[in-house]
Amino acid sequence: MERISTEATTASLAKPVEEKIKRFDIHQIIQHAWMMVSFILLVVTGFPLKFSEWAFSQWWVGVWGGIDAVRSVHHVSAYAIVIVCIYHLLYLGYNSLILRRPIGVKMIPSIDDFSKLLQEVSYFMGISKERPEYDRFSWKEKFDYWAIFWGMPVMGGSGFILMYPVFASKVLPGWMIPAAMIAHSDEAMLALSWIFLVHIFFNHFSPGIFPINTSIFTGKVATERYAREHPLEYRSLTGEPETEEGTEESKEQA
Amino acid sequence: MGLNVPEYPGPGRKRAFLLLTAVAAAVIGILVFGTARDYVQGGGYVPDEAKCLVCHSNPDLAKNTPQGKISLYVNEVVASTSAHRFIDCTTCHTTKPHEVATPLTKLSLAQKCGSCHQYQYKLHLESIHGQQLAQGNPDVATCVDCHSRKGDSHGVIRVLEHDAPTYKKNIAETCARCHDNDELMKDYGIVEKVYESYMRSFHGKALQLSGYELGSLNKATCTNCHGVHDIKSAGDPQAPVAGADNLVKTCEQCHPGAGVEFAKGFLGHREASRDNVPQAHYTEIIFRTLMISVVAFGIFLMLIAIVRFSINRWRE
Repeated sequence: MERISTEATTASLAKPVEEKIKRFDIHQIIQHAWMMVSFILLVVTGFPLKFSEWAFSQWWVGVWGGIDAVRSVHHVSAYAIVIVCIYHLLYLGYNSLILRRPIGVKMIPSIDDFSKLLQEVSYFMGISKERPEYDRFSWKEKFDYWAIFWGMPVMGGSGFILMYPVFASKVLPGWMIPAAMIAHSDEAMLALSWIFLVHIFFNHFSPGIFPINTSIFTGKVATERYAREHPLEYRSLTGEPETEEGTEESKEQA
Repeated sequence: MGLNVPEYPGPGRKRAFLLLTAVAAAVIGILVFGTARDYVQGGGYVPDEAKCLVCHSNPDLAKNTPQGKISLYVNEVVASTSAHRFIDCTTCHTTKPHEVATPLTKLSLAQKCGSCHQYQYKLHLESIHGQQLAQGNPDVATCVDCHSRKGDSHGVIRVLEHDAPTYKKNIAETCARCHDNDELMKDYGIVEKVYESYMRSFHGKALQLSGYELGSLNKATCTNCHGVHDIKSAGDPQAPVAGADNLVKTCEQCHPGAGVEFAKGFLGHREASRDNVPQAHYTEIIFRTLMISVVAFGIFLMLIAIVRFSINRWRE
């Protein structure tokens, strides 16, 4: 008994112990980190080709050791991001079909997400007083997730056409090559603007989170923040209202 | 113990070392200074047996003709750093240049170059440029338009010099001097923005991002598809880019196994439009619309969120 209490005292002296809830498992952490690294590599080796007339691009290609090195890194990262997508699909299938975890079901968008989108926009614009309450995934998280489901086939498909144009023209019509170049370029701009503006802003730079949200890297979220960001799920986990304030709010809403 | 170790460096060695250093420095200095002076002054390399430069190195030297004033100035620096610096002036300009009205003109120049560069001249005569010159058209390119530096016909430079207009890295820019000139191209029915569309293409982008090392310049530029000295009009059935069959053969030089479908993917130096590869045109419309609307929505969401978070903070 004595020993335990001493340890607790030392811990509390060093740093206040924060109660945490596990949100992501090891596979989800690996998948996010793997995708993040390959995505960043693809962006930094892809943009000089789009903005080839910039002096910065020409300097940047030189930093990597020439256009052939940049191209090789882009190709290897492309394979890496395709592999992580396959990994995710296998993970999803195994969890849903064999372990019967509701992890995939929670990601399915519904009408409710759309009304929460409208509520959040009206909250930001000052029309509504209340911010919407989220379950396991907010509509923004679902949007990010499904954007990859749309973006990966587009980027992967057009990218492999551009990587192997001669082979592609054997099985596909010739117009696919210039079309793939256009699609690859525009979809890349869409993806990187969304990730570097919207995703980074709402997941890292928002009040209460800034400067960095470590939950996707450690898998854990502080209980206090969990109750604030995912109140519906928190209540179903604990089976009770999270705070006194929360009780009042939910009473008012009711 | 018992070993007689000499003091090092001894006073004698030290003096010898200093002397040697001084001699070496003097030799290197004379070499560097001498070479640099030759380059800076441009002297020393032009044989100039007939002493032409005594008068022709004067920038103001000119003669009046019915067509106007013609400069007779020869830039000594350009001439002495050109590939032909060891050839005397009279090799090209006849032995008695003062007795000929106009020894070398745009139209007669290629023939003169051809007296040594016979093979290239033969190819040039068959090219669209050469044929136009034979018909008396002074607009088109002759030898020195592509092969000399700084727009000075005396500055002919070897193809493998990195700043030669014909160095692989610089070829597109050299062709663009004329082919990116809308006024000039209008007369020949070349309405495509050939230079811009090339620079937008994978070939152009890859070459623009390459360094100057030859190894990294293995990308197609104008001359790889259109020919070099034997360059043909794209409308000529003999041209390597005319018709699907010729085009496929040209693509196959770098893309082994490329078929007709592969060549069909080429936009022909034009933008995709309703008439030119319409599928690519509609792909562009769809993806441009998607990108702009989603990014606009994202930025809108961010902006209103920033405003809301700032108001919340201010009210606290």
